[in-house]
Amino acid sequence: MSKVLESTDLQNVLEVKDLQIEFKVDEQYYKAVHGVNFHIAPGETLGLVGESGCGKSVTSMSIMRLLKDPTKVSGQIIYQGRDLLKLTENQMRQVRGNEIGMIFQEPMTSLNPVHKIGRQIGETLLLHRGMSASRARKESIEMLKRVGIPRAEQIVDEYPHQLSGGMRQRVMIAIAMACNPSLLIADEPTTALDVTIQAQILELMKQLAKENGTSILLITHDLGVVAETCDRVAVMYAGRIVEEGSVRKIFKNPQHPYTRGLLNSIPKLTGERKRLEPIEGNVPSLRNMPDGCRFAPRCPFAMDKCVAHNPELFEVEDGHRSRCFLQEGGQ
Amino acid sequence: MAQGTPLLEVQGLKKYFPIKRGVFRHTVGHVRAVDGVDFTLRAGETLGVVGESGCGKSTMGRSVLRLIEPSAGNVIFEGKDVTKLSKSQMRAMRREMQLVFQDPYASLNPRNTIAQTLMEPMQIHNIGTRSSQMERVRSLLDRVGLDPEYANRYPHEFSGGQRQRIGIARALTLNPKLIILDEPVAALDVSVQSQVLNLLDDLQEDFNLTYIFVAHDLSVVRHISDRIMVMYLGNMAESADSDELFIDPLHPYTQALLSAVPIPDPDAKRERIILQGDLPSPANPPSGCPFHTRCPMAMDVCKREKPVWKEVKPNHQVACHLY
Repeated sequence: MSKVLESTDLQNVLEVKDLQIEFKVDEQYYKAVHGVNFHIAPGETLGLVGESGCGKSVTSMSIMRLLKDPTKVSGQIIYQGRDLLKLTENQMRQVRGNEIGMIFQEPMTSLNPVHKIGRQIGETLLLHRGMSASRARKESIEMLKRVGIPRAEQIVDEYPHQLSGGMRQRVMIAIAMACNPSLLIADEPTTALDVTIQAQILELMKQLAKENGTSILLITHDLGVVAETCDRVAVMYAGRIVEEGSVRKIFKNPQHPYTRGLLNSIPKLTGERKRLEPIEGNVPSLRNMPDGCRFAPRCPFAMDKCVAHNPELFEVEDGHRSRCFLQEGGQ
Repeated sequence: MAQGTPLLEVQGLKKYFPIKRGVFRHTVGHVRAVDGVDFTLRAGETLGVVGESGCGKSTMGRSVLRLIEPSAGNVIFEGKDVTKLSKSQMRAMRREMQLVFQDPYASLNPRNTIAQTLMEPMQIHNIGTRSSQMERVRSLLDRVGLDPEYANRYPHEFSGGQRQRIGIARALTLNPKLIILDEPVAALDVSVQSQVLNLLDDLQEDFNLTYIFVAHDLSVVRHISDRIMVMYLGNMAESADSDELFIDPLHPYTQALLSAVPIPDPDAKRERIILQGDLPSPANPPSGCPFHTRCPMAMDVCKREKPVWKEVKPNHQVACHLY
């Protein structure tokens, strides 16, 4: 922890600036991510929230440079002072898995079914740490123990199909954390898991991040998970960040009508049961993005200018911004 | 809510799937997907069934409709035992009982227009003329919040939420009394999920529908259900009125399940019970209480004896040796 603080005390681990991602569909480019900016401080957990198709997952994949041609990615992704978009493929390989770890939603599809668990954890260690095979194996067992896998000495020689979903996700975390990365990208890490297992995995991620001072970019659609794990939140809608701020601000004083709508539309676990207040309509499709504010067609407060112009991110208070004309000029 | 005789009574429902091995496909064991479920449901009520994956909640729902043939037990619908009906009697009975599936993408035939999909049940049951069927389709679409003009479109032209509305319209076609909803909103985005939940509320009110709502999301189940049954490894763990279950959960599994749900409120403070380990395999369930391997309060008796299902408070039953 102290080492991380010394070297990057004032610097953000990650700064994403004006990120644009365009997909080619039928010979035409469509913008899935439209000028996204965010940063993550050392040891901080940032939640990137939104519904399907809002661009949150492709944003995370662009950080790892996992999007290939013909997808166009532009802007800056500054990790520890270096723009990842300018690195060569070889340099990028040094970053992936070594400095930035990533875990995905479906642990079964992201683990290789024909390799033993030990080999899959050891691979990163052999590659990035230049360890000998026997040391990598020892280290793999150690990692399995750290992520709370029982019988680590045996599991290291087993295959992914022999493990349950929760155990596989623990293995994924072990792989992602093996090289002690300073940034962990977790894309819907618990969506495929049952709630009791989800609680275990989130607890584990929090604990590992705290021990190692790892920053986390958590991508999720689950506002409950965000409230419990994140320090700051960025809410995405249709390729843009519409609101960002600390967890407290977002949940206690949400400003953007979309954020408010999301919070109102989820059924509560406590209190009186009343009729839900859904957001009307559907998420717009990539091919048919509304002009102006992209939320305007579904927004109960939409004004004439919302349809014509796209609002900026207005500062509501320190560190809390909302992309809505209602907040124009502050509060 | 209707008084008197219940609409549906399920007694001792079991479903064991055989495990076959070897060249001769000998049965070497059974997966006890549902291992004894009882409940009654009055007209207009909603029973929520919750539990983690593999707890048997979906199999239970399907066994009630005999889409999966139950291994044992009775399903009494309006006084008739559904499990004893012949195939053709069962087909007639299915008019009264319908199912809505989780995946709105997989449950609609991509080659059929919405009108064809919605008319099929009426054609099978010989109801009405073509024009009256079409009229019904248009009014159904309107009722579930879709433009009747969409009748001639294909499923791929709709979003997930719209497809789920079509799935619901299909279930309503024959004016059923009971609808089993198997994770109907699990595949939908949060903002769309609430639209569909409100639609289900309205339809229940308008048509006096009875729902069995199978889901893993506890806040959704709490919202829609009058009563909730918690299942674990094919067994009933606890059953109570919706509000009661969340205020005073008795079974250690229910308590852990409720404490594990993330709450969208950074100030919510609570004791989280983190269960150790994974769900045991239903092919080889633990002795005694199926939950004892993960239960933080397990006693010796839990390993030996299966707890009986008993009413601990009025309308609140639990299967646990603590009570």
